[in-house]
Amino acid sequence: MTPPVLAASGITKNYRLGKQSIPVLRGVDLAVQQGEILALLGASGAGKSTLLHVLGLLDQPTTGEILFDGEPVQNLPVRERARLRHSHTGFVFQFYHLIPELTALQNVMLAGMMTKSVLQYWAIRKQARREATEILEQVGLADRLKHRPSELSGGERQRVAIARALLARPRVILADEPTGNLDSTTADGVVDLMFRIQKERNLAFVLVTHDEDLAQRADRIVRMKDGVVLSSAAVR
Amino acid sequence: MIPAFSPFLAVRYLLTRPIVALGIVGVAFSVWAMLVVDAVFTGFVGDIRDDVQRSTAGLLVTDLPHETSYEQLQAAIEADPVVLHTAPRLRHYGMLQALRESRIPIASSEVDFNHMEGGFALLLGIDPAREMQVTGLATWLPRAEKVLEQKYGRPILNPQTILQEPDPERLSLMKVPDATEWTQRERNGLPHPPTPENFRSEWPGILLSYRRLPILPMRVGEPLDLLSAGFQPAGQGEPTVRTTKVALAFAGYFATGHRLFDETTAILPIETLRAQLGQHISDPGSIDIVTDIAIRPHDGLSKDELRAGQLRIQAAVQKLLPPTSKPCSVLDWEQQNEVFLNAVAHEHSMMQFVLFVVMLVAAFVIYATLHMMVVQKWKDIGILAAIGGSPRGIGLVFLAGGLVIGTLGAIFGTGFGLLSVHYLNDVNDYLAREFQVELFPKSLFDLPRIPCRLETSWAIEVALGAIFLALLVAFVPARKASRMNPVKALSYE
Ligand SMILES: Nc1ncnc2c1ncn2[C@@H]1O[C@H](COP(=O)(O)OP(=O)(O)OP(=O)(O)O)[C@@H](O)[C@H]1O
Ligand SMILES: [Mg+2]
Repeated sequence: MTPPVLAASGITKNYRLGKQSIPVLRGVDLAVQQGEILALLGASGAGKSTLLHVLGLLDQPTTGEILFDGEPVQNLPVRERARLRHSHTGFVFQFYHLIPELTALQNVMLAGMMTKSVLQYWAIRKQARREATEILEQVGLADRLKHRPSELSGGERQRVAIARALLARPRVILADEPTGNLDSTTADGVVDLMFRIQKERNLAFVLVTHDEDLAQRADRIVRMKDGVVLSSAAVR
Repeated sequence: MIPAFSPFLAVRYLLTRPIVALGIVGVAFSVWAMLVVDAVFTGFVGDIRDDVQRSTAGLLVTDLPHETSYEQLQAAIEADPVVLHTAPRLRHYGMLQALRESRIPIASSEVDFNHMEGGFALLLGIDPAREMQVTGLATWLPRAEKVLEQKYGRPILNPQTILQEPDPERLSLMKVPDATEWTQRERNGLPHPPTPENFRSEWPGILLSYRRLPILPMRVGEPLDLLSAGFQPAGQGEPTVRTTKVALAFAGYFATGHRLFDETTAILPIETLRAQLGQHISDPGSIDIVTDIAIRPHDGLSKDELRAGQLRIQAAVQKLLPPTSKPCSVLDWEQQNEVFLNAVAHEHSMMQFVLFVVMLVAAFVIYATLHMMVVQKWKDIGILAAIGGSPRGIGLVFLAGGLVIGTLGAIFGTGFGLLSVHYLNDVNDYLAREFQVELFPKSLFDLPRIPCRLETSWAIEVALGAIFLALLVAFVPARKASRMNPVKALSYE
């Protein structure tokens, strides 16, 4: 059996507030298989976002291990972790987190510049532009390439963010309430898009949400409370 | 390796921030100022050094004891291989008084130093024939003519013949032509034969600085009284002061260009000054006293050869002086003007320091701009981390920002600096002509053009220095950005 594309074992995370140590995650075990959609549910403050950041190597756990394809990665050097963040996982956030100075196309292209040197990128600049354009076309923004984030609707912004997360062809998408800031019609469109691409590319998908209906469309639902996993159950 | 996103994002950030222009302008201005002000200053300093050197003998034996004679030392000095010629010099001081209506008898208690025309002068007694071999004396007279013509817009002629006199006796006393002195005697009501025929001029000549012209405008041959004072030699008990007076004929204006020298000095025959000091050539037992001996070294000597010569001459001279006398000195032209040249050099470095402070201000603007950028871009730092930016790459975004600002500023500043230096005189002339505004009042310095020397090495140093400084100040915000915790950055509101 192939190892899970993304796994966490015994993750704890304490935040220091002055002399106090606040436990936010207290021993979380989790595994996501290739092509699996995992919905992460839990009350506000349960530690979902924190777990997602730890899974995506954006944050260091206090103890525990993160495994990409069965390999422990959280102790790799900073640069190596940055590279994995780029190539293995893609983040989608509730508040889009696009760079306001850049157009939609540039925001997506930026993701392609992370691990290439100036010269390397210069050599492939045309191809890089084409790939970014194609992905934006896939998310339905062919006619919004030159728009800046401020000139896009919320749904469009989230599509740009999705396109950016996909550019480096990661195997895992980590989405933190990607529709939390959208009205239900727009949200449906964005969710449909994400699931379609997930299917096409056979991605592992960790979706943090408060929306039970949305969670029901996942393959598995993991419920969290106070920093521990309460249950993990396959849907139907 | 510089990741592609760092310069890409740096440029986009800079383009959307007008305040960046302030940093660029600041750097450009400071580079411009450093180049132009320094070029003018270097030009002035260069001119000043040239002027000082023109007024100075190549080497000077000085700090000699009283009653040192030229004869006593000449042979020993001239025996040294670095020496080409020597000339005796006698320094003293005196007051000059034109013999005009206001003339006051020397014995009168009415002699009022404050109102004496011509005033105080440091007297430099020379042997003209020898002095011309050692210094540029012969060029100081035509130079004065040129400067005065520039200043007054009409030629003010010097009697060039004074120093071209074939008769060595007349040359040594710098006598004006016979007819000239006769005319002046007649004009001033002084004793003179009825006709100029067979009249022989008697007054020794004196050369005055062209700077004295406004207070002491003289005609060639016009008489002057020189008053000086000295202690009576070989007296008993309290020394007595002896004042002396001698009539001299104005023999011309000189200009070395060295302001300090020109403003203070009057040049007269050494024999005349010796007589004033009680060493008349015809007195029995008189000696040809000197206070200094000027030396013209051979051309093309290296600094070390000259230095070695100085030491040898000093030793040779010292051996001939009375054993109790203090050590004499042998100074090259820079040492002779050490205080003045050091002051000029010090001023130059002070000015460079002030300009450097201007550059620091510009650097601070860059720092403030980039720091503000980091704070404004907190969230972007988190985004970059989330999509795979390494901390180093994130820091480089801001370092690249500093580099771009510094480089653009350096390019603009150097460009404008070079243009300004090239067209400085044209711009100054144009402003003076069209608007009567003089950036540099040339008349103040008696200069035909604003001296301007821009050294390429200095321009390169300044430009690279500006870029380096911009990078240096960018380093602090860049480091701050690269150390940012991405999760904190993302949640920053
Ligand atoms: N930097 C921090 N310092 C201290 N405590 C923190 C910090 N960041 C998060 N926390 C705490 O950790 C807990 C979990 O936060 P987290 O953002 O993971 O919750 P969440 O499950 O994502 O909630 P929500 O559904 O509201 O987004 C919260 O109680 C929060 O107060
Ligand atoms: Mg959350």
